[in-house]
Amino acid sequence: MALKALWVRTTRTDRYLILLLVLVAFTSLFLSFGRTAGKQLVIYADEKIVFTGPLTRDRLLELQGPLGETQVEISAGQVRVVSSPCPRKICIGMGSVWRSGDLLACVPNRVVVRIEGEGKKGYDLLSR
Amino acid sequence: MISSAAEQQNLEQTRQRVFMALFIALAVGLHTFEALLPNPLPWFRIGLANILALTVLALYGLRAMWVLTLSRIFIGSLLLGNLLGPGFLLSLAGGLGACLLMSGGVVLLRKGIGLIGLSVLGAAGHVCGQLLVAGLVIIQHQSIWLLLPVLLLFALVSGVLNGFAADLLVDYLLQHPAFSACRKGFGPHQLKG
Repeated sequence: MALKALWVRTTRTDRYLILLLVLVAFTSLFLSFGRTAGKQLVIYADEKIVFTGPLTRDRLLELQGPLGETQVEISAGQVRVVSSPCPRKICIGMGSVWRSGDLLACVPNRVVVRIEGEGKKGYDLLSR
Repeated sequence: MISSAAEQQNLEQTRQRVFMALFIALAVGLHTFEALLPNPLPWFRIGLANILALTVLALYGLRAMWVLTLSRIFIGSLLLGNLLGPGFLLSLAGGLGACLLMSGGVVLLRKGIGLIGLSVLGAAGHVCGQLLVAGLVIIQHQSIWLLLPVLLLFALVSGVLNGFAADLLVDYLLQHPAFSACRKGFGPHQLKG
């Protein structure tokens, strides 16, 4: 059996290490799914903010990047990239996002869409 | 025919150099081959080239692993034509992260750790290095770390499989007379006296 051969070749430290990393992965997975739905979205093109707006209003946005036009759709409180001129279409493959902190990025066309939660929840000022 | 001890050592050094060159060539081949594979999940790599890094680590030690990984990344990206581009930067960050964690594993857990554990450490280091550079340089936003759990889980699976492959490969190679002076281990001096 392949599994038995695999088991024989791992040392005890190996098994503890794998267990530890699996725990880390699941804990972070749990933490990342515990987030609430976002309130508004911010779009960056070429590292500058080009659009901010609520998630509740459906619309289709067209953004200019160095490669051409990226289309971003807001519908039913979710955001997705509909079309993009980039070669590998990873941004389209990222699907829809809606949780606060979620991110859609088209690296070749330098377009980043970010979902934000309640506007004024963070700190105004931190002094140490 | 009698050869002196010094000559014997010389022979072993030359042999190691030649084999390193072959291993690097193989690693470059795997690196390029992997870039040709279709990948349904963006940013996810199986890390086939790391099998060679682990093999060299077990046969020749830490230094050889660093040499192999760095040369593999430079030559590989030269072949793929993305040298100094964002893809190269990600691959370099991944390679450095993997090597750092694997070196840490070797130094701290030398007695207990095996190739599979090291491979998993390397895969985790690869993911962390890539996300660090992606977050700092390319996306410039920390929410990229939300990808960590998913990538880490895939890295664990591919890490275990790669480690298994490397372990089998090392055991197989050690049966060959050309590696008679080597033994499996992770110390700084793998060559028998």
